[in-house]
Amino acid sequence: MNPDLLAKAKSLGFSDRQIAHLTGLDEDAIRAARKRMGLLPSFRLVDTCAAEFEAYTPYFYSTYDRGDDEAKPSAKRKVMILGGGPNRIGQGIEFDYCCVHASFALKEDGFETLMVNSNPETVSTDYDTSDKLYFEPLTLEDVLHIYEREQCWGAIAQFGGQTPLNLALGLQRNGVNILGTSPQSIEMAEDRKLFAAMLNKLGIPQPANGVAVNETEALSVARELQYPVLVRPSFVLGGRAMQIVYSDAELSHYMRFAVEASPERPVLVDRFLEDATEVDVDCIADVGRYPDNSEGHIVIGGILEHIEFAGVHSGDAAMVLPPHTLSSRVIETIREYTHAMARELKVVGLMNVQYAVKGEAVYVLEVNPRASRTVPFVSKAIGVPLAKLAAKVMAGKTLKALGFAQEIWPKYWAVKESVFPFNRFHGQDILLSPEMRSTGEVMGLDHDLGIAYAKSQVAAGAPLPMGGRVFLSVSDADKREVAKVAKLFADLGFDLVSTSGTAAVLEKSGLKVQRVFKLTEGRPNAVDLLKNREIQLVINTPSGQTPRADEIKIRTTAVYTNTPIMTTLGGARAAALGIAALKKKGFSVKTLQEYHR
Amino acid sequence: MPKRTDIHSVLIIGAGPIIIGQACEFDYSGTQACKALKEEGFRVILVNSNPATIMTDPEFADRTYLEPITPECVEKIIVREVEELKRIGAKGKLVLLPTLGGQTALNTAMALHRKGILDTYNVEMIGANAQAIERGEDRQIFKDLMLSIGLDVPVSGTAHTLEEARQVAEKIARFPLIIRPAFTLGGTGGGIAYNRDEFEEMIKRGLDLSPVSEVLIEESLLGWKEYEMEVMRDKADNCVIVCSIENFDPMGIHTGDSITVAPIQTLTDKEYQIMRDASFAVIRAVGVETGGSNIQFAVNPETGRMVIIEMNPRVSRSSALASKATGFPIAKIAAKLAVGFLLDEIKNDITRETPASFEPTIDYVVTKVPRFAFEKFPQADPTLNTQMKSVGEAMAIGRTFKESLQKALRSLEIGRYGLGGDGKPWRISDQVYGDRETLPREVITRKLSVPNAERIFFLRHALRAGFSIDEIFSLTKIDRWFLMQIKEIVDFEEELAAIKN
Repeated sequence: MNPDLLAKAKSLGFSDRQIAHLTGLDEDAIRAARKRMGLLPSFRLVDTCAAEFEAYTPYFYSTYDRGDDEAKPSAKRKVMILGGGPNRIGQGIEFDYCCVHASFALKEDGFETLMVNSNPETVSTDYDTSDKLYFEPLTLEDVLHIYEREQCWGAIAQFGGQTPLNLALGLQRNGVNILGTSPQSIEMAEDRKLFAAMLNKLGIPQPANGVAVNETEALSVARELQYPVLVRPSFVLGGRAMQIVYSDAELSHYMRFAVEASPERPVLVDRFLEDATEVDVDCIADVGRYPDNSEGHIVIGGILEHIEFAGVHSGDAAMVLPPHTLSSRVIETIREYTHAMARELKVVGLMNVQYAVKGEAVYVLEVNPRASRTVPFVSKAIGVPLAKLAAKVMAGKTLKALGFAQEIWPKYWAVKESVFPFNRFHGQDILLSPEMRSTGEVMGLDHDLGIAYAKSQVAAGAPLPMGGRVFLSVSDADKREVAKVAKLFADLGFDLVSTSGTAAVLEKSGLKVQRVFKLTEGRPNAVDLLKNREIQLVINTPSGQTPRADEIKIRTTAVYTNTPIMTTLGGARAAALGIAALKKKGFSVKTLQEYHR
Repeated sequence: MPKRTDIHSVLIIGAGPIIIGQACEFDYSGTQACKALKEEGFRVILVNSNPATIMTDPEFADRTYLEPITPECVEKIIVREVEELKRIGAKGKLVLLPTLGGQTALNTAMALHRKGILDTYNVEMIGANAQAIERGEDRQIFKDLMLSIGLDVPVSGTAHTLEEARQVAEKIARFPLIIRPAFTLGGTGGGIAYNRDEFEEMIKRGLDLSPVSEVLIEESLLGWKEYEMEVMRDKADNCVIVCSIENFDPMGIHTGDSITVAPIQTLTDKEYQIMRDASFAVIRAVGVETGGSNIQFAVNPETGRMVIIEMNPRVSRSSALASKATGFPIAKIAAKLAVGFLLDEIKNDITRETPASFEPTIDYVVTKVPRFAFEKFPQADPTLNTQMKSVGEAMAIGRTFKESLQKALRSLEIGRYGLGGDGKPWRISDQVYGDRETLPREVITRKLSVPNAERIFFLRHALRAGFSIDEIFSLTKIDRWFLMQIKEIVDFEEELAAIKN
């Protein structure tokens, strides 16, 4: 290829991928050709003064306006940390937190740290955070230039979420030393077949499942597993296009419109366990540091029990640490399974596991041998910087040497609640689902579980009401349980308001209920009451696979009128607990430093 | 004027959970402030309910409250900390720094001020006082103030009821109208009303969402060019412009949803100097004594009329961008100014020679592109307007606008490796087009005239389909200079593609 043309393409910002596609070559060939002709980017400093004065803070960007390369690599041992790129739903600040911790930790251990990221909002792209900052796109091409120019010793790809993880194999193929758990182990956890084989070997149950590369396959897998099934594409974060489907028709629609399935990217189909409780576990391990995987340590950082029933994405669910309803036998089983999998995957660093608990049975839903969204929450709840320790383990230390060998079980409660952007997206149903849609999270801390939950609700911008009216309208499946929950509110002095179906159930249990019209029955209806601020709390659970239009109207009106709304009975129960605790003794504040003491 | 010696502890209010319009840029600014103040020997007390932040790591503050950010809760913290200061026999007092935690911190501090709690416990607000915050945040006071110093503002009026709103609309006498509720975040509840029905609906929602039940109704500046200036000022009245930013997308789209470019690309030096002088006049008139502010301007592309849109008397989303674009740490400097330092007393970390009173100069182009998440909200309307909808952003640096734009686009994590030509097909509604396929003119026209998340890519489609620069300009009002730059990229794409044939 003509060197001048290639040089011009690069100076106009064209990536190798674009050039490859346009010229009909492949990306590796373009890169090789560029290297042969010495066509590599220069690294320039961001120095506030247009090179007028000498600059000491190494903050770089690349350009093909060449000459004057200012990178000047040192002789120190360097570790590159790959950031998470732009924030989006499913990949937020949690991963930036982990990257920043990796940088701090490795600096402490004497490494030179290099941060690569393209997100201007973050702490990781502060020029103070790492020894060197490269403000660059997180693509194979851009990252390799830096790695090779700086002659790094290794790179951390497990802390920045899905973005760097997607690059890991490609980087490794190009000679990058990926620190920590091997990309092969990560693949074993992501690849359905390999993963199932591993669980089989370890005797750990998972919900019955299969994979499909097209609609016909999906239908046959689903029929074999029996509906409802949980479907999702492989290799995504944040539950993109993850859905619970109840029928052939829904599944067909999903396969046609919601995903692009292919043999390389099959769709995963799982039997969905209704009414199970989900549990998230974050642990840290150094097993892969030892030649024999029976050696090494695994320490659980935190076990988080979801408040909502299974089916709500773990990024959207409210969670409690330590678990508040699980039996000690279940917790022991969770521990056993977690340890066994960390050993088998030879984990070096962090691992997150999601379980579903039904009765005393524990099923593994998913394993991710990398930093998870809950790592900062857990770290703050237990007072141990897990990401920092993990980075040190990945760069060579053992947990024993770091003095972290004992699981911590706090004597207080930490509740995580999610925050949603529904007020920005008018007309969007707010129902929680397997597809993550929250943008952020808050933490409620207290020695009383009810208060911790109430604090989390206040912090999330939806403080629990201390009195007034509760509107209840629940699905048929929830009608068995609704009376118990309603009674909690009645006992707290709330008036109950309900539409005919739910009202009948409540009245049967001897509760006093004010009936209101459904939207189609007449006025004033539930939406009118909401708009007039005559309802202080809404408990509305979905009626089935396709929500009714009036349910959506109620839920969205609750959002616009800023009325707290619970879309699961689990959430409603926790709310009652919180209100009761607040009524009893109010709340007080305390610093994290005091909690950790 | 050196560091104040009457201060013992500084209470910093964080921004709480990540929401649209208030994201992790406030973790960045808060973390910097914690570090800077600790470095100066102050005891730092922090409240923030967001556990995912770096700033709430126990080592960044002396006292970290992972508690809800509400006036009630912060009052409890103040009571507790005032007692603590007495107990340890501290010489200095407790002060409150409210300008680093976005709108949440500012609103909470103002609520504490209005309830008299700050007075009761003798807690001074540093960084910006209550009067300055009010002058910057209350839209009517701000506008009157601007007119009084001879600066131009859009014709407008405020309303507290639907009836008042109707009167204002009659006064302006022309649709579309812009509706902005007072004291809300990222323009929540605001919008552009093209007709009476939309107007009434938006007013009702806006009044509802504004904590003071107030909305501002403005003449439409749709299609005007939009600019931002990041200004800092110290106690001795030294002012610097840290960074000038140009919005690639014209007025009508929230800055947070616009592609933005630093430094300003399409103004003459004279026009830029006028804007610079105006920025200083604004920060002085509002009376932000120590710290940073963000000032937004609009310029009519036909007449050159320049009006002031708004100012944020605090560290904002754009401050994070400006800091990263220039290497000038706005939040850190703002924290130091708040405790008494002057700009010329603070060393620039990067050069270790020049003081912070040197305005940064940059010899490159920075482009920021917003990241959207409409795929998560399929039932919602994906049109961009004055209410922010993006969930994140990517920034890139290059020696030219073209280089930095393409780098920014491939940073977005949407499977694109630049402006196009990377082989990824285009999905438009239910249709799928090949990457190099020429799209139908009517599809392109629609995607250009109604602002949306993919509009930047449709500039390429339009040029490839033979639209002229003028045609594209009249559909988008994007400055012709930017369109010419994009044309260079698109033209070169054809040169590269010619090799294949």
